[in-house]
Amino acid sequence: MRIRTPLILGAATAVAVSALSAGTVQAQTELLIWHMEQPPHRVDRIQELLDEFNAANPGIVVRQEPQNWGEIYAKAPAAVAAGNAPDLLFAIPDFAPLLQGIGALQPVDEIVAGLDNAHGFYDAAVEPYAYDGGIWAVPLYNMAISLWYHRPMLEAAGVTPPETWDDWVAAVETLSTDGVHGIGLPANRHLYTDQTTYALMVNAGASELYNDDGTVRFDNPETAAALDFYGRLFAFSPPDAANWTWGEAEACFASQTCAMILQFTVITTYDTQTDGDPADLGVVAIPHAASADGGTISYSNGVMLLTDDPEKRAATEAFLTFLMEPETYGRFLNMEPGLFLPVTETGAEADSFWSDPMAERYRPQIETMLENSQAGRLFGFTSGNIFPSIAAISAQNLIAQATQAVVLDDMAAVEAASEIQERMEDAIR
Amino acid sequence: MTRWRGSAAQVIVLGLLAIFVLLPFYWVVAGSFRTPEEVIARAAPWFPRSLTLEHYGNLLRQSPFPTYLLNSLIVAFGTMAFTVVVSTLAAYGFYRLRFPGREWLLNATLLAYAFPGVLLIVPMYGMMSTLGLIDSLMSLIVINVTFAAPFAVWMMKAFFQTIPLELEEAAILDGASRFQVLTRIMLPLTAPGVASIAIFAFVMSWTEYMFASILILSDDQRTLPVGLAGIIGQYQIDWGLLLAGATLITLPVVILFAMIGRYFVEGMTAGAVK
Repeated sequence: MRIRTPLILGAATAVAVSALSAGTVQAQTELLIWHMEQPPHRVDRIQELLDEFNAANPGIVVRQEPQNWGEIYAKAPAAVAAGNAPDLLFAIPDFAPLLQGIGALQPVDEIVAGLDNAHGFYDAAVEPYAYDGGIWAVPLYNMAISLWYHRPMLEAAGVTPPETWDDWVAAVETLSTDGVHGIGLPANRHLYTDQTTYALMVNAGASELYNDDGTVRFDNPETAAALDFYGRLFAFSPPDAANWTWGEAEACFASQTCAMILQFTVITTYDTQTDGDPADLGVVAIPHAASADGGTISYSNGVMLLTDDPEKRAATEAFLTFLMEPETYGRFLNMEPGLFLPVTETGAEADSFWSDPMAERYRPQIETMLENSQAGRLFGFTSGNIFPSIAAISAQNLIAQATQAVVLDDMAAVEAASEIQERMEDAIR
Repeated sequence: MTRWRGSAAQVIVLGLLAIFVLLPFYWVVAGSFRTPEEVIARAAPWFPRSLTLEHYGNLLRQSPFPTYLLNSLIVAFGTMAFTVVVSTLAAYGFYRLRFPGREWLLNATLLAYAFPGVLLIVPMYGMMSTLGLIDSLMSLIVINVTFAAPFAVWMMKAFFQTIPLELEEAAILDGASRFQVLTRIMLPLTAPGVASIAIFAFVMSWTEYMFASILILSDDQRTLPVGLAGIIGQYQIDWGLLLAGATLITLPVVILFAMIGRYFVEGMTAGAVK
C-alpha cells in the first residue's frame, strides 16, 4: 500500500499534466501555408514574419512549407483528395479555378472586404479571383511585365525609349549590331512565351480571349496583328532565343547581349550579377500599336483558404491582417525586392516597402513597374468576365503555340490565329 | 603499320568522343568557379579568368543544400540496400524454385515499367497517405525500390544462370541450406551483378524527381533534385548557384563509380553476353 499510493499519485499527476498539456495544445490553432516562393532568401523572409506573428499571437501557430510551381498543379489536388491539404495555399489566377472546381476552396469575401476597407485593394488585383458568386483568394502581391532596356546602349544609338510599335521595331533594328541583339524574345511552348505574346496582344487591343458568352475569340485581326509583330521583333533575337525561359532572357540582358527584353523584373540579377549602375537600367511600359491603348500582362498572386474550420478561418484573418499592415507588408513584398509589387494603396506608400536598400537604389524603376502594373491584364480574367476554362488553355500553352507557329514554322499570323482558335475550342470543350 | 594506323584511329575517335561527353561537364564545373559576371557573359572564356568559391559558399551556407544532400544520401543508400536484398532473393527464387505461374510472374514484374510515372502520381499519393508515409523519406525508398527492383531481378537472374548447377548441388550435399547456398556460393560468384544493380538503384534514386516533388511536403525532407530546383528560382536564376549545385550533385555518383564502377562495367558485360 505504501508503495502503491505514491505510484497512484504519480500516475494521477502525470495524467493531469498531460491533460493540461493537451488542453494547451488544443487551444492553439495551427495554420499550414503552402507557397511557391522557394528560393532560400524568400523562405527566410517569410519565416521571419511568421515568427513575429506567432510570438505576438500565442493562440496561433503559422507554419510554412515551400512548394514548387512546377508540381503544385498535380500535388495540390492529390493532397486535397488524400485529406492532407494545407490550410492556406498561394495562387495565381489560373490555378485557383482548378481547386475551386473541385470544391476545395472556401470563399474569402469577408476577409477581402475587411482588408479592402483598411488598405484599399486595387480592383485589378481582386477581379481575377471573383467569380461563381465568391472571391476565392486574398490578393497578396502583383507582378507585371515591362520593357527593360540598357539606357547607355539606346543613348549611344540615338534611340529614345519606344512608345509605339513603329518606334519599337525601328529601335530594335538600330540597336542590333555586331554581338548585340536589339531584343530577346522567346518562342517555345512555355509560360514565358504565353506571357510575352499576351503582352503584345494587350497592346494590339486583343486582351479579351473570350466573348461575353464564353466562346473563344482568339481568331481576330488584332490577335493576328500581335502575332505578326511578334515575328518581326523575334527576327532580331539571338538564335537560341526560341528555347528561352525567364532566366535565359535575363542573362542575355545582364550580359549586355540583348539591348531590351520583356520581363517582370531584372533588378536583382542586374544588381548582384553585373557591375551595372542603377541609373543605366531603363524600364518603360510595353509599346503599343497605333490603334490600341497601352497595357501589359500582370499576375495578381493571392492566397486561398482551403479549410472550413471556423477557428482556422479566424486565425487566417488575423494572420492576413498582420501581413497587410504597412509595417509588415513591405517587408513581405521585399522578400524579392523589385519583383513583387503591392496590391493595396497603403502598401504602395509603405515605408517598409521603399526603405529596402535595393528598393531605394532602384526606386525610379520600381515606380515605373508599379505604374505599368495598374494597366495589367491577364488572359481569361479580363473585363469582369472570368472564365475558369482558361486553365485548360493555359495548361497547354496554346497562346505560345500560336507564336511558335508564326516564328518557327513561318505560318501566316492570320492562319495561326485561326488554327489555335480551333485548338482552344477543343481544349475547353 | 596497319596496326599503328588502327590504334591512332581509335585514339582519335575515342578522344573526340571523350571531348563530346566531357565538355558539358567541364563547362559546368568551370562555370561554378567563375565570377557572376563571367558566368552570364555570352562569350565566356574557356578558362575562368578569376576563380571564386563564392557560389559554393552561398550554396552551403545560405541554402538548405546540406540537408537536401543528406536526405538524398539516405534515400539512395536505402533504395540501394532494399533493391539488392529484394532483387537477389526474388531472382534466386525465380531462377531456382519451380512453382506454378513462375514465368508469368517474372514477366509481370516488368509491368512496373508499362505505365508512365505521371499516371501513378495520384494513386501513389493516396496509397502513401493511407500508409502515413507522406512527407517521409521512406515513401521515396518504397517507390524507388518498386521501380528499380524489376530490372534488377531480371539482371540478377541472368547472372545466376551463369553459375554451374553442380556448385549448388555440391554445397547442398555438404549440408548447406538454400539460404546458405545463396549467400555463401551464389552471391560471391555474382558480385559484379550485385554491384551493377546496386549502382543502378543508387543512380535511379539519386536522380528521381517526380515522386520526390509530389510526396515530400516539407523543406527538411526534400531531396537534392527537387531542392536544387527550388533554390535556383523561377523568374530570377542565380546561375553561379545553379552550376555549383550541379557540380556537387554529381560528386556522390562519381565517387561511387570510382569505387565500384569496374564491377558495374563487368556486370553489364557479363549479363549481356550470357
